[in-house]
Amino acid sequence: MNTISRRLSLQAALALAGMLAMPGFAVAQEPTVKVGYTQSRSGPFAGGSQTTQEPNYLLWAEQLNAAGGLNVQGKKRKIELVGVDDRSDMETIVRSYEKFMTADKVDLVLPPWGTGANFAVAPVANKHGYQLVAPTALSQKLVDMKLPYYFVTLQQPKPMMQALVDMLAAHHVKTVTVAYMDDLFGLENIGALEPMLAAKGIKVLDKKSYPLGVKDLSTMLKGMKAANPDAFIGITYPPDNFLVTGQAKEIGFAPKIFYTAVGTAFPIYRERMGKGSEGTMGMGSWNPKMSKAAKAYFDAHVAVTKKEPDRWASAHAWAALEIIQQTVEKVGLDRKAMRDHIAKTEFDTVLGKMKFNGTEEVGVPGMVGQWQNGEFEIVWPPARATAKAVVPKVWN
Amino acid sequence: MKQDNVFLVAAALATLLLAALPALDAPFVQSLALSCLMYAGLAVSWSLFSGPTRYLSLATSAFFGLGAYCTAVGLAHLPWPLVVIAGGLAATLFAFLIGLVVLKLRGAYFAVITYGLGELVKHTITHVEKTWSGTVGRVMTETPSSNVVYWSVLLIALLAVVTYVRFGASRYGHALRGIGIDEERAATLGVNPMRVKLAGFCLSAWFAGALGAAMAVRWTYIDPNTVFNPFIVFQTVLISMVGGPLTVGGPLLGALVFSLLSEFLRLSLPYLYMILLGVLLIVSVLYLPDGIAGHDWRAMCTRVARRWFKAAPAVEPPHE
Amino acid sequence: MNAYLFIDLVVAGLVTGGIYAVVALGLNLQYGLMRIMNIAHGEFLMLGAYLTYTMVRLTGLSPLWFIAPMMLVLFLLGLLLHRLIFRRLAETSPNAEAMEARSLIVGFGLMFIAQNAAQLTWGGGMSGQPYLDQAVHFGEVTVAANRLLVLVVVAAASLALVLVLKRTLLGKAVRGMLQAPLGAMLVGIDTRTLHPACFGLGLALAGLAGGLLSMVYELTPAMGEPYTISALIVITLGGLGNIPGAIAGAVLLGLVETFGMYYTSPSLKILISYGVLVGVLLLRPKGLFAR
Repeated sequence: MNTISRRLSLQAALALAGMLAMPGFAVAQEPTVKVGYTQSRSGPFAGGSQTTQEPNYLLWAEQLNAAGGLNVQGKKRKIELVGVDDRSDMETIVRSYEKFMTADKVDLVLPPWGTGANFAVAPVANKHGYQLVAPTALSQKLVDMKLPYYFVTLQQPKPMMQALVDMLAAHHVKTVTVAYMDDLFGLENIGALEPMLAAKGIKVLDKKSYPLGVKDLSTMLKGMKAANPDAFIGITYPPDNFLVTGQAKEIGFAPKIFYTAVGTAFPIYRERMGKGSEGTMGMGSWNPKMSKAAKAYFDAHVAVTKKEPDRWASAHAWAALEIIQQTVEKVGLDRKAMRDHIAKTEFDTVLGKMKFNGTEEVGVPGMVGQWQNGEFEIVWPPARATAKAVVPKVWN
Repeated sequence: MKQDNVFLVAAALATLLLAALPALDAPFVQSLALSCLMYAGLAVSWSLFSGPTRYLSLATSAFFGLGAYCTAVGLAHLPWPLVVIAGGLAATLFAFLIGLVVLKLRGAYFAVITYGLGELVKHTITHVEKTWSGTVGRVMTETPSSNVVYWSVLLIALLAVVTYVRFGASRYGHALRGIGIDEERAATLGVNPMRVKLAGFCLSAWFAGALGAAMAVRWTYIDPNTVFNPFIVFQTVLISMVGGPLTVGGPLLGALVFSLLSEFLRLSLPYLYMILLGVLLIVSVLYLPDGIAGHDWRAMCTRVARRWFKAAPAVEPPHE
Repeated sequence: MNAYLFIDLVVAGLVTGGIYAVVALGLNLQYGLMRIMNIAHGEFLMLGAYLTYTMVRLTGLSPLWFIAPMMLVLFLLGLLLHRLIFRRLAETSPNAEAMEARSLIVGFGLMFIAQNAAQLTWGGGMSGQPYLDQAVHFGEVTVAANRLLVLVVVAAASLALVLVLKRTLLGKAVRGMLQAPLGAMLVGIDTRTLHPACFGLGLALAGLAGGLLSMVYELTPAMGEPYTISALIVITLGGLGNIPGAIAGAVLLGLVETFGMYYTSPSLKILISYGVLVGVLLLRPKGLFAR
């Protein structure tokens, strides 16, 4: 049974139990902790949301409730998730969060999926004094807004691109071609990337952008193949990263290093690309070999949601939940106290130590991962590496 | 026009009540009312042109997005009312330019080309932004309060309603209906179809642009994909059709019913609401083909009453 | 430009155009014959893709085995939908424009239902099962085998449809209905059987495209939407209700996109395709091949 139908039957069972037990059911019990959030179950954001974010929320609630509930300063209280579909629509997102914060007065809110949605919700949360710890927001502009109640656990473009460029330099890459998507994500990353490449004396032989929803990039890749670079850098998103990888393989475009940014760390990338995924690098920051905590998280995710977590933002989503959990345990549900605690504390998470400098998380460095024998190994920086990079990439 | 006066009084009362809503200090109710008003304004202004002429315009998203972009660019330099007006004017200008050519097309051709032009504008803006300013999308940090946005949208929606009624009763309104029935005949009767259509199209565009301009500040960050979202025009057409675009009450009722219903279903049945919404849409077309407002409720009630209280007639009255 | 690159681009353009053609043909039959503006057309493509994918996952066989049965399923679904919805709609609509407008709302309803059902059944994330994704080489020209397969199948399907329409009595009846619905009825063409059959055929063709695409791309519940839009563009280019026109329009659009992307940048793809649409409609308001 997949997660949604599980939730459906769970909802039905709960409703039924509620109806049956309503009269006279007055056992002294701590009130539930109400947690509100929206995720995109329909519309263009659904793919990302349903891979990376919502499964973590469901897993978190299920795990905590099985263990008696969320620890609120020593008292265990069950979690009640109020999760609705936001249809990938900004106005619906804003309206839903206003409802959570003002009409329902939930105890906690969890962030929606994606940079645009976070831009829309962050000021609302800030206004009503609800802290948001976001795993899937990636924009320097958002960080620069310096909203006191807003935190991001994901590495931003600068550290991510710096790790990539350092890795390229370490493998004596002299020339690259770059493809990037026409949106804020693509442009901020390319903006960070270009000066870093220049500083290391790496030449950009060809640079092309493409729009959301592109279905064929073979002609672009043929041009890049003709330029014969040492490395290919794709500032891509799923499903374009599948398209780029698949078509590069078809036309025999085989640079020493092949990097596609987001979605490369998704398990479906490995399933979809098969052997073609071997040796591809991308944005990532963990795998189950990294630590005991990471292994435990991985196993729980597989057990409950029946699918593997992605090797990048999934763990950042989990870390965000851990941060909230640890904060509530320490200071309770007073939101001002929670915010202050999050802003100044160093947390132990699935990704190691995390702490915030303003909005941005600074404990976890930028990293590069690579598929090797079916696992997404961290290959850069050396201090975090779980394996050595395999260069050159071989297509088979 | 006695009925019109009754209607205007009712509209004024409703507006006063809605204008006082912020006093409740209930942000969720207010933002629900806000999106209801936004779609009411969009649907009324869409019906203003597309109702009588039966020209199925899919350019609403383009108008809305242009207005929103005007806000993103102008907010720092102009006072708020001017920003909103300018957003509307940008849409009107665009409507005028494309109207000169696309209003020569009819039926599905017109629908597809207006949609295509919307996409064309969206991608042109993406391209221009990227080439000239090296970024896509705009962040707006200094924004007017949510009450100001709410009142602005209310005012625009009210203006749309008043315009619908006034324009419909004017010479232009009659001419538009004439064109909807038979364009060639209207032309032989001394109507200049192009001029009349252009006037209606541009007027309807202003409201969509102004609404886009007013709403843009709600989302802090806008990019072409959010404000030129086809979702906006689809929802607008849906609301107008479900309500019935031939009277002003239609799109208003449509916006009210559709917004509240879809929100209620979304929040109470988070996994199944789309299926239910889809079924309701199909059922509504089958049983209320002329929209909620256009439906002959009295005849339906009589028919139902007859069927329930008297013996069923031996032969069903024929359909055609 | 060297000859290989040229052939490369032509093949890529034909593959894109071929997919557009199959999706557009079904929509064009529905619109041309019954004035059904089926905005949910792409959703049936999505269903075809997911059904094929599921069968491949369950059995481990090649997706080609399941394309014909899946098309049959969609054909039957089409008959059912026509019986439940569109027949009544056609009977109660006073004119063609009302039919267009009402079927548009039904289309939205079907779209909501299909997407939500797919999301409940298969999840909102991406799924996919590549098939035949090795490259095929013809000298310097390289194409993925699955894309080539797509091209061959859609070309065969389009050709078959055109031949049926041109050569058979049934096809004559359909063409008669396309040109003069009322006249067709007067000369005794049985629209009560032909309409549902053509509606079902439209769904089956969308399903065919979906089944083929499931070998090439990732599946999501919303994957059909862009194809609906492309199909609308294509049939407008070729002329509404004009079957050969739609094929020509599809191939033209595919080629223009591919060459345009090569000479400018992939970013400009959409600007180019809508530019072509707007240009054509301005010069020829009833489509390229208006009679």
